[in-house]
Amino acid sequence: MESEKNYLEELNALKKEYEEFVYIVSHDLKSPMRAINNITTWIEEDLENIEDKGVLENFGLLKNRVVRLENMMNSLLELSRVSRFEMEVYEVNIPHLINECVEMAIGNSGANFHLDIAIESETITTLGKKLQKVILSLFDNAIRFHDKEKKDIFVAIKETRDYFEFSVRDNGPGIPDDVKEKIFSIFYTVNSKDRVHTTGAGLAITAKIIKMVGGTLSCFDAKDGGSIFEFTWPKVTLI
Amino acid sequence: MINDKLVNILLVEDDEVDVMNVKRAFSKNNIKNPLFVAGNGVEALEMLENNIVPLPKIIILDINMPKMNGIEFLKVMRADEKLKNISVFVMTTSNEDSDKIKAYNLNVAGYILKPLSFEKFLSSVATLKNFWQLCELEHN
Repeated sequence: MESEKNYLEELNALKKEYEEFVYIVSHDLKSPMRAINNITTWIEEDLENIEDKGVLENFGLLKNRVVRLENMMNSLLELSRVSRFEMEVYEVNIPHLINECVEMAIGNSGANFHLDIAIESETITTLGKKLQKVILSLFDNAIRFHDKEKKDIFVAIKETRDYFEFSVRDNGPGIPDDVKEKIFSIFYTVNSKDRVHTTGAGLAITAKIIKMVGGTLSCFDAKDGGSIFEFTWPKVTLI
Repeated sequence: MINDKLVNILLVEDDEVDVMNVKRAFSKNNIKNPLFVAGNGVEALEMLENNIVPLPKIIILDINMPKMNGIEFLKVMRADEKLKNISVFVMTTSNEDSDKIKAYNLNVAGYILKPLSFEKFLSSVATLKNFWQLCELEHN
C-alpha cells in the first residue's frame, strides 16, 4: 500500500511539473519572443526608408527566425498535448475522410492523388480528429517535400481483422537511409529549414498519435525512388 | 477641447514592451484617448480607489501579471460598486480555455490574444477603436 501511495504521489508531482512546463512554453517564453518581433518592427519603422539592402535582408531574417521559433513552440505544445486534446470518439467514414484530406492537402500544389481503397467496413468509431491529422500530415509531407513538377501520390487502404492498413507513396526525392530513423524526431528536417518551409514536427506528432492508438508507422523506399509511409490504425479504439 | 469628449482608458500591463506596443498602436491608429498605465492589479486598484487617475470607461487588462493577476483584479472590480460597470478588454497571450471562461464569467467585453506581429496587433486595436467611439457617443 505504501509503495502504491508513493507511486501516486510521484505521478501527481510529474503531472504538475508537466502542466508547469506547458504553461512556461505557452506563456512565459512567448512574451519575450513577441517583444523581439515587435521591437524589430519598430526599429524598421523608425529608420524609415532603409536603403542598405544588407540591413533590409537582416531585418527579414530576424523576423523569419522569430516566426520559426513561434511555430516550433506551438509544435512542442501540440506534441505534448497529443493525448489530451481533440480526443472525441465518433463515427468516421474512411473514404469520405480520405477525399476530404486530399482536397485539403492539394491546395494549389497541382499534385495528383491516386486512390485504391479496398475495404469492406467503410465506417469506424474512432478518434476522428486524430486519424484526420495523421492522414493529412502524410499527404502534406508527400507534397511539401516533393522535388518534381509532376507530383504523383498513391494512397492505398486495406484491412485485416483488427486493423486498417494505410499506405501513402510518392514519386518525390525519397529519404536517405541514414536519416530514416531521425525523421520521426521533433524538429528534424532532411534539408535546411531555409529551403523548405517546415517546422519539422509533423512526423513526430503523427508518430505519437499512432503509438497512442496502438498502431504502427514505418517508412520505406519506393521502387521509383520516392518514399512510402505505411501505418496501421486499430478498428477498435481502446482509449 | 476635443480631448474632453474622449473616454479615458486604463491599461493594466506588467510588460514594458507590451505597454509600448499599445501606445504605438494607439498613435498609429490615431487614437488620442488619454491612456493611463498600471503595472499590475494591485497598482490598478490603488489608482482607481484613491482617484489617482480619472475613472476610466475602458480597461485593457493583461492576465499573467505578478502580484494580482488579471482574473483576480476582475473579481475585485466586479464586486466594487464604483468600478463594476467599467468595460474590460482582456489582452493576453493566454489561449487557455480556462482563462477565457473565467474572464467571460466576469463579464468582459472582449478577449484579445496578443499576436506575434505588430501589424496584426494594429488591426486588433483598430477594431477596439470602433467600440470606444460608440462609448464616446454614449458618453456625450
